[in-house]
Amino acid sequence: MHFSLRLFTLLAGMMLAAAGYAADPAPSLTTPDQLGPKIEQPIEFPHFRHAGDEKDGGMQINCMYCHTYARRSMVAGIPPIQKCMGCHKSIPSVQDKPRIKQLFAYWDAKKAIPWKKVHDLPDFVRFNHERHIQRFYFQLDRPYQEVCGYCHGDVKKMTVARRQKPLTMGWCRACHLKDHPLSKDSKEIGHGPNDCFTCHK
Amino acid sequence: MSENNFNRRDFLKVVGMGGAAATLSGCGWTSIQNGKETVVSYVTLPDYVIPSVADYFNSTCAQCDAGCNIMLRVREGRALKAEGNPHSPINRGKMCGLGQAGIQAHYNPDRVTGPMLNGQAITWDKALQELNNKLSGVKGEEVAFVTGVMSGHAQSLLNTYMDAVGSKNRFSYEAISPAVLRTVNKKAYGMSMPRYRIDKARVVVSFGADFLGAWVSPVYFSQLYAKFRKGTRPEGRGVLVQIEPKMTVTGANADRWIGIRPGTEGILALGLINALGASGVSIPADIAAVAHDYTPERVGTDTGVPFDRITKLAALLKERTPSLVLAGDAVEGYSYGTENGMAIAMLNHVLGNVGKTVEAAAAVPFTQFAPVVGNRSSLNALNDGLAAGKYKVVFTYAANPVHTAPASLNFSKNFMKAGFKVALAQYMDETAKAADLVLPLDSAMEDWATVVPEYMAAPEGAYSEGYAQMSFRQPTMEKLYPNTDGSGTRSVCDILLALLKQRKPDAYKDVNDFYSYLHADVLKNKVALGGTAADDNDAFWNDTISKGIVPLKGISGKLASRPVVAGLSLPSPVTPDASYPLRLIPHVSASIRDGRNANEPWLQESPDPLTTIVWDSWVEIHPKTAEKLGIVEGDIVEITSRSGSIKTQAYIFPGIHPDAVSVPVGYGHTAMGRWAKDTGANVFGILDPVYDKTTGELAMNETHVKISKAGDRVIVVKDEGFGGGSQAGKKKIAVKVSAGKVDLSKEV
Amino acid sequence: MAIDNLLYHWGKFRHNHPVEDHDVPDWEAYPTDIKWAMTIDLDACTGCNACSVACYAENNLPVVGKDKFSHGQVMHWMRIERYWGEDNGVGDFSVDQGAQFLPMLCQQCEAAPCETVCPVGATNHTEDGLNSQIYNRCIGSRYCSANCPYKVRYFNWYNYPEQENAWPSPLEQQLNPDLTVRTKGVMEKCTFCKQRTYVARNNAKTEGRRVTDEDVQTACQQACPAGAITFGDLHNADSRVAKQWAEQQVDITKEIQDKDKEASTDLRGYRVFEWLRPYPSIMYLERVREDKVV
Repeated sequence: MHFSLRLFTLLAGMMLAAAGYAADPAPSLTTPDQLGPKIEQPIEFPHFRHAGDEKDGGMQINCMYCHTYARRSMVAGIPPIQKCMGCHKSIPSVQDKPRIKQLFAYWDAKKAIPWKKVHDLPDFVRFNHERHIQRFYFQLDRPYQEVCGYCHGDVKKMTVARRQKPLTMGWCRACHLKDHPLSKDSKEIGHGPNDCFTCHK
Repeated sequence: MSENNFNRRDFLKVVGMGGAAATLSGCGWTSIQNGKETVVSYVTLPDYVIPSVADYFNSTCAQCDAGCNIMLRVREGRALKAEGNPHSPINRGKMCGLGQAGIQAHYNPDRVTGPMLNGQAITWDKALQELNNKLSGVKGEEVAFVTGVMSGHAQSLLNTYMDAVGSKNRFSYEAISPAVLRTVNKKAYGMSMPRYRIDKARVVVSFGADFLGAWVSPVYFSQLYAKFRKGTRPEGRGVLVQIEPKMTVTGANADRWIGIRPGTEGILALGLINALGASGVSIPADIAAVAHDYTPERVGTDTGVPFDRITKLAALLKERTPSLVLAGDAVEGYSYGTENGMAIAMLNHVLGNVGKTVEAAAAVPFTQFAPVVGNRSSLNALNDGLAAGKYKVVFTYAANPVHTAPASLNFSKNFMKAGFKVALAQYMDETAKAADLVLPLDSAMEDWATVVPEYMAAPEGAYSEGYAQMSFRQPTMEKLYPNTDGSGTRSVCDILLALLKQRKPDAYKDVNDFYSYLHADVLKNKVALGGTAADDNDAFWNDTISKGIVPLKGISGKLASRPVVAGLSLPSPVTPDASYPLRLIPHVSASIRDGRNANEPWLQESPDPLTTIVWDSWVEIHPKTAEKLGIVEGDIVEITSRSGSIKTQAYIFPGIHPDAVSVPVGYGHTAMGRWAKDTGANVFGILDPVYDKTTGELAMNETHVKISKAGDRVIVVKDEGFGGGSQAGKKKIAVKVSAGKVDLSKEV
Repeated sequence: MAIDNLLYHWGKFRHNHPVEDHDVPDWEAYPTDIKWAMTIDLDACTGCNACSVACYAENNLPVVGKDKFSHGQVMHWMRIERYWGEDNGVGDFSVDQGAQFLPMLCQQCEAAPCETVCPVGATNHTEDGLNSQIYNRCIGSRYCSANCPYKVRYFNWYNYPEQENAWPSPLEQQLNPDLTVRTKGVMEKCTFCKQRTYVARNNAKTEGRRVTDEDVQTACQQACPAGAITFGDLHNADSRVAKQWAEQQVDITKEIQDKDKEASTDLRGYRVFEWLRPYPSIMYLERVREDKVV
């Protein structure tokens, strides 16, 4: 797979300005409906129940309550089960639901849940969650659902998350070329870094 | 880089659950696998752990005996890299290549992963049972324990065990150790390891002390050296003169390198004393009497050092004070090694350096934890006992005598005479292979230990005479080979505790493992370890191990005002025997050392600084000698001594005396692992059984050899750079400048 | 497109560069706030190789073994070159002043010869003044290595992780997850510990301040027992590296320094192959020795 990617790179390089080359020709990156493949998770986690709007029966929990590392680390991270239990131990009303029973089973067995990756990038790409959250959530004060949603889509309406955006390099760069205000009250603008080295090392 | 307070037990538990799976991802060369890669969440996680952000845990390096304080970079349950602990008085945030490679000792694929009895894997329970059976009915004097340098709790536990067995046969063996120097220092300065203040000296004259390479505490000395070279120092930039028959890394950095005739270092020192006396320096009568006959003319003839150089060196020493004179490996290795060293040590007295650049060091206040240092003479004592069939059970730990003993001792044959041989080993090295029972050890990234270094470095800044320290080693990750289904590795202290339980079941019945033993012991001694009785136990424990260094009020030694010079006399240089015309100088390289680190591939691929050779041993021959013998670079030559012969590649090397050849030690393993085995030749084997008369130490430089071409010629695999090793200045690649032509006093 | 970015950065220095010692381009013309640079004090360097081993540990460098080493296929990003004194004319090198060592690594040239010859733009200049090597873009033409005057680019002739089994289990667990393990057919070289400078910049950005010397050390610098290596931001006047370059009167934009035009100088800063005009980012400090002392 790595080899075919590089060959593609060669062509892109020769044509100098060919379209973004990060599209991986081998496995289907996008399904016919332009979304990522449907992935079966060990527990069918209902994102809409936790993060959804109140009118849809959700609890409007901030993404970063559970994905707490997003603001201080390259990776957003899957919360430790400890975190799930922190709330669910004291919500007896749902404890006999099948998914919650599964959760308790993992907890009692002190076994990690083998979640499947939904947003996977090649290993030579290093996306930094912290930088984007710091820039748009903390500096520009945009709503978290919008900031996370740039790349992850409207997760608050999903059950198990499914990839919504292509996550190709061209798609990343389209955004990096746009001008964004430097801070909430600033008139100065800037765009994202364009050095290859920023993401590839 | 943060140092975290945390509860060790919790930390390890966390790693145990999520860490193992996490280790498999993140280092891959795989590509997009939508929905295939798993991202395993932790079950529980302390607050300080952030995925993809590294934590640093303080510990102590185990790669050599200098005891540098290090911190391990840990991510997702894996130890990744070692860095120096910036708060350490020893290494001050720095590390050598050998220390860096410690991580490869931990992850080494050739580690022993479970107990072995006669080559068969067995469980720990069975192994300890078998050992107990073999020990039953055996008298104390029939048990021997061979170790390398030991200190801290491991030393104290071993002592307790030996007492419990009723044995006095403890052999502390180090193939490479400054054993003669300790005796010399004791006589000359009143203590075996004073502090050498290179940073305070204006001139350092080093007789073969490779203090930037492999001598005593090289990372510490390198820092002092860097200060010594600074033009901004109040004393001004220091001058280094290195006198040795084979150029070491330190010699390569000297302002003046003097390739003296091997074995005449003491004569030169006496010549210098004589010249100093002649120039008006007052010399104590007893020293003057010893140096009386050593006129510059005679010394020049004996040592091969030009006459004017001797007088110039004496003038330099007289003019620039304080100076510091060091005696190292190259001086020790003779039948008169102690005298050779004494002659040099007297120079420090004559020059008034004692008390200025030779300072008193302090000893750790807990004598049971003080280091038990190794030497070579203990191997002879052990060998005699083995030859006489005195031992029914022999333990070995942190020593590999089968590889490092000279062939003339017949050690491997004598070793087989021991009834039951137990090797506590991390690798299946030569000694472990010869043993009946092998007990596999944890790596230094997995075990608990306390370490007290022999050379007690002083913290930066104010003169701190009474400073002593104890360092902690802690597990930085879960064991690679845990004790599930009776297999896996254990720490040496846990093994010693298990052995003690066999002897004194009542006294140790409440001790679960070494962790709890150490924990209890530290808390019991809170006050002595710098805390107060009121300190919270958990807070004190966490603080102690997260710092990794416990500064202690040491027992200060006192420097002797006068050296013991009575009876000092040096032999005239020997005329070489025509059949063995060359002197063999075994060289200790900074990375491979005595060979215990030979299976760490970074060290094998790290070029020797001077020859730039990798992955093999070599013999250094002076261009003139080589021309006489018709040898060119790459010739495979046979080096024959009275005790045996080895074959290795020739390297023509200008930094060696024409009467000597040099071969690095530590190579030529016949076992140990994929990288060590069959790499190079083992020069220990051909050393002649000549001993220092005073200490009984094997005289490493007293072997005479002849060299002949063995027929083959190979391309020497080396890394000289594209200048081919010469002509550096002309192309302005590596530039050197005279001290007089630069202004160093204002440099940032 | 990435390619316009690449051409922009590559051309930036050339445009500003005074071809015939006209005006010195001023730093303000650079639209960047950081310029990574290094100083190596050859007087402090003892040639001990700690930096090189630290680099292996930090940057996932494969150990190639004797056979491949002999074919010049070693992958050490940092090598210590050893030189003797002048030849005395009869093939016998002078050893009176020991040997001389020179740590040689990628000089991160401002006008890098390697960048101009890459057919696919896999090596190009970054905003913070690094000469980057993009593994997933590299096709292995090796032109860059041929054009490098310092010979500090290393090519993966083999698939070290898999076919060569350079990290037999469990040794692969030591690999640094912050950077890629390179596979067969790509060029690699020193990055000034890109993964470390990245974290330093990231943290400084979050805290809304400049990067300082306290934020980052390269692996070689951190290990160096004699403290011979200084690394930092040349544009930050408070950094030690900027002070050293200023004190030694070495200007990164010049191929002949003003101080060298005079017959003698009491400063010891110089850059290797400065006259080839690659404008390297590493300044060496000459080794100092007392000549006539003994």
